[in-house]
Amino acid sequence: MGRLTDISTIARWEVKKSFTMMSREVLPVAVVLFILLVAVTGFAAQTGMHLQDGMYEVGVDDPEIAQLIASDARFSVYQIDTATLEKNRNAFDLIIIHGQVYGNPTERAKAAQKTFERDYAKYVNTVYNRETDLFAAYPLWIDVQTVKSELTFLSTQSGQYVQAAPSRKAPVPEGEISNVPTPSPALDFTKEELRQELFRTSAKNTQISRYTEVLSSESTMGRFKTPSQLSPPLPFDSIILVFVFIFPLYFTSQFFMMSIMNERIERKGEVLLSTPVASSSIIIGKMLPYFIGMVAICTALTLYVRAPLIIILPLIPVIVFFLANALLIGMLSRSFKELSFISIFFSTVATSYLFFPSIFANVHVISLISPLTLIVLSIQGDPWTITDYLYSTSLFWLTGAVLFYIGMKNFKEERLFSEKPLLPRIREFLSGIMSRRHPFLSVFLLTGFSIPFVFMVQLMSLTLFFNLPMPYSLVLLLIFAALVEECAKAVGIYTLFAQDPSFLTWKNLIAACAATAIGFLVAEKLLLFITLAQITESIFGSILFLSLGVLWMPLLLHFVGVLIVACSLKFWGQKGLVIGLVLATAVHCLYNLYFILGWIG
Amino acid sequence: MKARHLSIIAKKEFRGLFNERTILLAVLLQLFIALFSSFLMVGLTSMYDPSSLSKYSRYKYNIACTGNDSAMLGYLESSPDFRVYAMDLSTGVAALKERKLSAVIYVPDTSPSADEPIKITLYTLTNDLQSAIVDVKLKDVFLKYEKDLRQIRVDRLSEQPIPIQVPKTTGGGDFYEFVYGLLIPLLVFMPAIIASALVIDLITEEYQHETLETLISTPITFSEMVWGKVLACELLVPIQAGAWLLLLMVNGIAIENAGLILLQVVVSSLILILLGALTALHYRERTAAQFIFSTALVVVILFVLALPSNPLNLLTRLAVGTAGPEQWLVLAATGGIIVILGYLTQKYAERVGKSHHAG
Repeated sequence: MGRLTDISTIARWEVKKSFTMMSREVLPVAVVLFILLVAVTGFAAQTGMHLQDGMYEVGVDDPEIAQLIASDARFSVYQIDTATLEKNRNAFDLIIIHGQVYGNPTERAKAAQKTFERDYAKYVNTVYNRETDLFAAYPLWIDVQTVKSELTFLSTQSGQYVQAAPSRKAPVPEGEISNVPTPSPALDFTKEELRQELFRTSAKNTQISRYTEVLSSESTMGRFKTPSQLSPPLPFDSIILVFVFIFPLYFTSQFFMMSIMNERIERKGEVLLSTPVASSSIIIGKMLPYFIGMVAICTALTLYVRAPLIIILPLIPVIVFFLANALLIGMLSRSFKELSFISIFFSTVATSYLFFPSIFANVHVISLISPLTLIVLSIQGDPWTITDYLYSTSLFWLTGAVLFYIGMKNFKEERLFSEKPLLPRIREFLSGIMSRRHPFLSVFLLTGFSIPFVFMVQLMSLTLFFNLPMPYSLVLLLIFAALVEECAKAVGIYTLFAQDPSFLTWKNLIAACAATAIGFLVAEKLLLFITLAQITESIFGSILFLSLGVLWMPLLLHFVGVLIVACSLKFWGQKGLVIGLVLATAVHCLYNLYFILGWIG
Repeated sequence: MKARHLSIIAKKEFRGLFNERTILLAVLLQLFIALFSSFLMVGLTSMYDPSSLSKYSRYKYNIACTGNDSAMLGYLESSPDFRVYAMDLSTGVAALKERKLSAVIYVPDTSPSADEPIKITLYTLTNDLQSAIVDVKLKDVFLKYEKDLRQIRVDRLSEQPIPIQVPKTTGGGDFYEFVYGLLIPLLVFMPAIIASALVIDLITEEYQHETLETLISTPITFSEMVWGKVLACELLVPIQAGAWLLLLMVNGIAIENAGLILLQVVVSSLILILLGALTALHYRERTAAQFIFSTALVVVILFVLALPSNPLNLLTRLAVGTAGPEQWLVLAATGGIIVILGYLTQKYAERVGKSHHAG
């Protein structure tokens, strides 16, 4: 009961403090800026963005074609007579003589030609859209039906082909053949409905669609398209929308970060710490207003864009994760500029993790590692399951919780007001959560709780390397995954060593290594068991989380890895850390290679 | 104002940056973004222009053509990407489900010259990378078929578009616009934004850490201190922007006029830095100053982008090499704004300095 009152008092105090600070000078300016923002957005929407104006130069001999091209600001059009044009053809990216396009062999000219082709196709479509006999202009329509594969996705989705060997004979299905009804040749829409749709898609010439013109925009006719509309959909609109949701979260977590930082400037927070309130209550109380604010902003935005309210659910773990990081960044950084750089760095990394997978929302299951994909799916009207939710948010919940725990344990005077550099501070924070009486249990738990972070980094590398051609992506992933795991395991030992180098007697060293290895293995298996079954079944997953089969082999591997690090720490002191990590990574890689090669080959 | 005093302040700030290793973070950040954007590009290219990856282009996809006889079968068979089987629909779909086929096509019994369009049904696998690639390849075939059908029905069309013949492209140029028209101007301009956020941190820090009085008591005047900090931030811009250009060039992206690009960035970044300095002088408190400044920044950048031949557009045109003499005009306009902002900053700093000395 007392705890709740504490929390609510601190929360109210926090709100009052930030309002008195903000209201007098900031609020009027903020209102003016907001009005200006709306006005400028309107202005920009009207005149369009002028980022790529005049990128290409075109020479044309025909005034009608010149006019056609000039409607796209990316082209600088020069209308010159045929003879001069032929003489100066290298001065332009493209020249058009008597309706024939000639391009230079440069990259810029190639891009210019592609752009021109798209512009021309669009122009042709506007001409055809006016036809009274629409089906003479568009004689071919494609009805796309998707079929769910009965095989598990893992093979093709991981970039492998599992097709039958090429043969002259048609493939024969092994399973039962269920009857597929013959599609009716009649269209499901009237001519006018189709015409409306064609108008709508061709009118879509926003800045964003410039990049997506290669791809077709989503049609309201669903799966019913002309050939030129047939491309995998890139959910660009929904992704932009998602960005609208994430952006205010950055802002608000910045405020939280600053509020924590302000407590530390000139020891202002000493008063707060000297009260008999638990540090966890202080943190929760300070965080609560921001948390509520963020959820409120998201809800308001959702209602405003009329998206389904369910998209708040995947946003909440993201909010918790942001706040947890803001707390630690606010506690760690020594100066404003450090705060700025760390927070910029954090938000870039977090954005990449959240954002890029969701681009592949319609194409690949990998995209589900980001909670934003769930939002994209919801906006598109596709359902997702509880498993999907757990799968994409569990890492955010777990890492958020661990970071909060670290923050709470270290929210005390000697940590908050110390002026040490970043890395020693991080180490201090870690030793803050280690118990001196039970060092081995601490190492066990610390390593165990590092697993969600390890998974996060590894999944991030998965999206990164997934884009590379096959052998490179596997090799890089192999090395990187091993390195990340070895680093995570070294953290506990290194913290013990930094606290007290004499602690690492041979007996203690072996025990600590064993605790680390067991902690790592237990947590890895546990988390895998709950969530990541999907990824682990693909070939990429098999590298990341190879050790699913027998238990004693991976345990030995983890033990040997951390033992190498510990020994080199013991022999060479601080400098030994890097050497040990490299050696351990090499051993880890060899182990993985042996198993994967044995497996594939 | 003494140059020596400015350099003392600038040196002090640089030392701070190096001591805290924040500069290391900035470098890491740069590398990270470069890595990610190049990976993103490779990924997108391979997905939407599969032939760019040779591995995919050598591959023949099995597809089934079912239903009635039509010209479609001929088109598919002449395409190098497919191995076509004539099958019956139900068997085809069953084989597709077992991934023995990549797609199944059903062609109806509609005459090419009929009033009604021909509705082809295409069966593909849900949520699958390979079917995305097959879709792109099938699109070419369908487009050819559409063109011929249109030719058969040409009498029924009332208007013909202006005919323009385009030579067949030999690949490449797909992400040129993305790289030069978006990535380069944004990346090269990012240091300017970082520098302007930094100047706010540097100035508000003096207020909030209450180190201002110590500084004022030295022979350095208040306005010299402000300009020293502006100088430190300004010097960071060409270093970072230059690093970007180098990174891009190492990545094999040819950039023309790198020197002129740096000049434009350095000059226009001064506008943002001065705006940041003014905001910081006014609020003297980081949260408020950063909040107001970043909101204002969004407004300014949106507004600038909506203007034709804005500095960011100029960066694009310089990078591709189509910028004309109008770049000097833009530079002059930017310079004019800087003079005004610089005057305002000087006056404001003098006023604040006086009140400090008086108090």
